Amino acid sequence: MAGGVGVAGCALTAFALLTRWRTVFPFGLALVGTSYAVYLALRNGAVDARAPAVAAALFAAAELGFWSLERTPSPSETTVLVRRVAALAASVLLTALVGSLLLVLATGATGGVGLEAAGVAAAVLAVALIARLASRASV
Amino acid sequence: MTPKLPAYAGLAALGLLAALAVRRPELAVVAAPFALYAGIGLLLARRPRIDAEVELEGERVLEGDELEARVTLSAEIGAERVEVLLQLPRELVVAEGVNPVQLRLADGDRRELTFRLRCARWGAFRVGRIFLRTHDAFGLFVHEATLDLRRPLKAYPSEEHVRNLLKPLETQVFAGNHVARQKGEGIEFADLRRFVPGDRIRHVNWRASARRGELWINEHHAERNADVVLLLDSFAEARRGDSSTLDPALRAAGTLAARYLREKDRVGFVTFGGILNWLLPTTGAVQLYRIVDAMLDTQIVLSFAWRDIGTVPRRTLPPQALVIALTPLLDDRAEAALLDLRGRGFDLVVVEISPLSLLPEPRGEAGRLADRLWRLRRDAVRGRFERAGIPVAVWGDETSLAAALEEVSAYRRHARPLSA
Repeated sequence: MAGGVGVAGCALTAFALLTRWRTVFPFGLALVGTSYAVYLALRNGAVDARAPAVAAALFAAAELGFWSLERTPSPSETTVLVRRVAALAASVLLTALVGSLLLVLATGATGGVGLEAAGVAAAVLAVALIARLASRASV
Repeated sequence: MTPKLPAYAGLAALGLLAALAVRRPELAVVAAPFALYAGIGLLLARRPRIDAEVELEGERVLEGDELEARVTLSAEIGAERVEVLLQLPRELVVAEGVNPVQLRLADGDRRELTFRLRCARWGAFRVGRIFLRTHDAFGLFVHEATLDLRRPLKAYPSEEHVRNLLKPLETQVFAGNHVARQKGEGIEFADLRRFVPGDRIRHVNWRASARRGELWINEHHAERNADVVLLLDSFAEARRGDSSTLDPALRAAGTLAARYLREKDRVGFVTFGGILNWLLPTTGAVQLYRIVDAMLDTQIVLSFAWRDIGTVPRRTLPPQALVIALTPLLDDRAEAALLDLRGRGFDLVVVEISPLSLLPEPRGEAGRLADRLWRLRRDAVRGRFERAGIPVAVWGDETSLAAALEEVSAYRRHARPLSA
């Protein structure tokens, strides 16, 4: 099942890239992410140690996809190109590192209602913060 | 805001909520980079402040020439990626340089972009509108701005090579470079006559005087200027892509105007067509600029109004002026006006700008027949001109303007119009 959702996600992503349909592209990524969620739900067991690598791969795919979907790309100076590629590589590396750290922290935690409540609050707070920042995004 | 921001926010929210729902920290790990990226990007976002200056190497160029355009960008608040587009008219082509280009401008940076532009076609342009599009380092925000820093640029039609100009049948009263029919002060020998009191001694022809036993005087032709009117038929044109019969017509007009003005002649310019424009004949370098500027404004305006030569102000066509008509012979009104002009006694020469190279190949039997009839009709028009004593020079791809004018000169040497 996870494989089916993953294939559908990849197909949707490929379709969005080929048709340069920027609205559809994130849904493709979301489907790919969902396939991983389904895989994890069905897996039942220890924490998946490959999660940071999956996060880095998904992030890299998202970045590269949005790069290719940029409208009317003008020829870039070499400096711009090099800096951009370096920034992307650094972001992907950082993603893997942060993911590993988060995974270690999550594995070490003993659980409980308090921690779960804190997790919910953190998730809601993170989403709310992004929404708030985006709403005043007239910078 | 780019679609990336809502997409990353959405993916982060989805991942974090899914992590809670299925109680798997791995999903939080997958969602966290998107949340962090969007959050940091939003915190660091700012509006760039970039100013620009545009400098052109010159204000006037010749068709086919190149000139340099410099765009100087200065950033008070820079951006990670700045797309710069110098808007150019179709007639200006970038020969060197990249347009548009994407570059980086840090805070306080100053960058100079140099574009080498080639003027592919004549015209009056305004160059210098710049479009800027900036992207932040995270690619979450795009800012666009247009800076209108346009400068005028005039691309004059290139000159044709002409060795000899057409000599006018009649000259005017002012001094110039044409040998007049009238006798007066000059260099060109005209005749001999008997000495009369008041004649200058230096005009005595001593050899003739010794032979005849009395004083004889050399007479000379005066050197005068002439009035030349360049009449541009702008009723119709033949066009194929960027090429038009108007282009060689304007090149010829520019060349002839420059050459006649150099000969101290008075030169006038009339655009006779849908829109009537005229410049009274006068001399000097300023007149050349006036003519060239008037030429740049010339365009073919479709009109069905019947115009005759009576609509042209009288002072524009001085008596005894040499009128050189530049026409593709595509409109009956131009043909009628030229015959009318000749009927009024003007010294008229027609330079036909051949549209044949601009025509598509005729298709089918009917097409070939129509093409043949059209060519026969043009021959008939030329015949009518020749019967009226108007020399017609055909200037096309196979001949140069110099050759066409030589043809007219030869015609005028052997077939002088009776009324002239």
